[in-house]
Amino acid sequence: MENNRRILVIDDEAHIRRVIELKFKNQGYRVTTATNGEEGLDIIETEQPDVVITDIMMPKMDGKTLCERANELKKKRPFLTIVMTCRISPTEQEWIDELQDTVFVEKPFSLSTILKCVDQYFGNQ
Amino acid sequence: MKMQRVGIGIIAVFLIGIGIFAQTMIQNEQRIRAQDIQQKGNYLVSLIALHPMEDFHSSKRDFIAKTLAQYVTSDGLVYCIVHDQNGTPLLSMARRDVAAKIPQAVEEKSLYVNGYIQQTYTMDGTKDVINEFAKAIFEDGQRSGTVRMGFNLPPITILSPQRVKLMAIMSFFAFSIAVLVYYGITLALRPLQEVNQNFRNFCIESIPESTVPVKNGGVHDMITDLEQSVIQLRSKYEKIHTENINLSTKCGVIAFEKNNVFNIIDSINYGIIVTDIQDNITYINSYMLNLLEEKEDNVIDRPLGEVLGHDEITAFILQQEALNKSNKISYIEASFPELAADEFFQVSLSYLIGKEEDFLGKVISFKNITSEKSSEKAKHEFITHITHELLTPLTTINSYNEMLMEDEIENIEMQKEFYNTISEETNRLTRLVKTLLNISKIEMGSLSLNKGIVKSDWLFNDCLTTVEGAAQKKKITIEKNLPDNFPSLFGDKELLKLGIINILGNAVKYTPENGHIKFTLTDKDEVAVFEVIDSGYGIAKEDLPHVFDKFFRSADPRVTDQSGSGLGLALTSEIIRLHNGEIEVTSKLDEGSHFTIRLPKEEYYLGKQ
Repeated sequence: MENNRRILVIDDEAHIRRVIELKFKNQGYRVTTATNGEEGLDIIETEQPDVVITDIMMPKMDGKTLCERANELKKKRPFLTIVMTCRISPTEQEWIDELQDTVFVEKPFSLSTILKCVDQYFGNQ
Repeated sequence: MKMQRVGIGIIAVFLIGIGIFAQTMIQNEQRIRAQDIQQKGNYLVSLIALHPMEDFHSSKRDFIAKTLAQYVTSDGLVYCIVHDQNGTPLLSMARRDVAAKIPQAVEEKSLYVNGYIQQTYTMDGTKDVINEFAKAIFEDGQRSGTVRMGFNLPPITILSPQRVKLMAIMSFFAFSIAVLVYYGITLALRPLQEVNQNFRNFCIESIPESTVPVKNGGVHDMITDLEQSVIQLRSKYEKIHTENINLSTKCGVIAFEKNNVFNIIDSINYGIIVTDIQDNITYINSYMLNLLEEKEDNVIDRPLGEVLGHDEITAFILQQEALNKSNKISYIEASFPELAADEFFQVSLSYLIGKEEDFLGKVISFKNITSEKSSEKAKHEFITHITHELLTPLTTINSYNEMLMEDEIENIEMQKEFYNTISEETNRLTRLVKTLLNISKIEMGSLSLNKGIVKSDWLFNDCLTTVEGAAQKKKITIEKNLPDNFPSLFGDKELLKLGIINILGNAVKYTPENGHIKFTLTDKDEVAVFEVIDSGYGIAKEDLPHVFDKFFRSADPRVTDQSGSGLGLALTSEIIRLHNGEIEVTSKLDEGSHFTIRLPKEEYYLGKQ
């Protein structure tokens, strides 16, 4: 069931990185992980993942900055960004809506929700 | 009656005046006649004395006699007698029996005079006053005779036709002048009458005009009215003067109160600007002058928009004005980047409404809400942070559980690891919730301490065991320093453990790999001293006073890279305070931190309480 779709998981929480990685690997995706936004952005540029799943509150570079920088890269090569958010700030929805191919899942989320979201993205392409 | 008396008085004065005038005329006429007689007598007596004595014997005697006869009849000449040197009369021109009535003494005095003499006497047997003029006649240096002439001063009749006529003319003129003067005065006093009426109206405001009789009878009434008016005016003046003093006092009080109000407005931490209906500034308080860096004189009477130079506020005021002018206060948030960078103001607009519901101007107030905004921001950041901290372990628990439930983990070891992670995250969540609860309880004052004897060695070792695992992962060595005798403490052992673990945990968290931590317990007099000295990142000088503040987290990226609620040290500080202890910190950036906790020993705990 191996496929060539590449998933990048960015989170400073090792447990969350691990479980998402495991879930998508079980579905045959190729998964790469990063512990902060800065590291994640490097991987996006170098490995060009198809889906980026990222947390917001992270050291070095937060999820919002990462998404905005990634949005620039999407002009060359589109990819899906899934933001894992606590949905505290009302402005969060606004800046997510303004970005291309960016959706959010609310914490605590179900892994199957993220999977469904990714499958839907690839299915629609 | 009074008028009649005045009339009689005026007539009496008038008659007296006429009498005095007539008397004066008579006296004057008498004086003139006397002078005339004197001149005439002197002249005639001298003229006759020039004749030689023989003329009175010759033919000239008749001529002289005839000439004198004319004077005797018309001009009061009573007699003229020429004597020879022996005193014998040579010529006598006189009325009948006159010579016999001349007193002997007068005659003798005249006959013996060598020059000229005038004598006045009353003729014997009559009331006639006679002026006698006598002069000696000289011929060849020898006295040859004497001339005597007597003149009668005729009585003056008061009511002579001429005089009566003159007096009538004079009276007519005097009466005409009096009448003219009277009407002239009446005419001239007419404006005074009006003034009087005005006075009356002005002075007696409380009395209706119709009830006050206005006399137009004459000058006397007018003056009486005027006098009354002046009295009333004086009374009114005194009343006004008293009122003026009262008003001055009230004005002084009002000015004092006004100054007080302005001082209060100046001392508040609000900016206030008041404008008139043309939006020109009529008042501005000190706070606002400081904010705008302006002086009062440069601002008063200038348009509000020009002084503020703030388009947003001007637009807001115009917008509010367009809506309505009700007294409802509305506001916007604004800032003055060039004048007060990083400060935020809540600008409110309200209207000055008079007693008649008329619009008098606007009041624009500026409330500095920087601290509120900052506190709101900190609160929002805290909630965001805490939510993240709470939801992260929940997400882990949820997703790990999902994987286990859906049998996606087949490997038994991995399953165990997953269960362990769920357990760890549950503990993490519990700790966080407990910390929040403790902080909340301390803040609310509802935290109950489960007090008892706490053995310091147990506390020391328990804290150490808790952090040893994390320290080992970072290859941090922990050096232990213990006393020979372990003092006992009195307090809540779990809370004390939590407090010390927060310090030790931070030391591990913020010390880089292969670092060093010294954990010391010392028994000192009344207190047990716990010290945590690390070789970590240290705390910046500006952050040091805030490390025990709630929600405070340093901006140092080496700190922000680590997860944390900013509540640990705040909680520790409160726990130590609740145990009558002390906590202090010294630190140098990039060298490490030194935390010292002093807790009273069991035997001194109650004494310290």
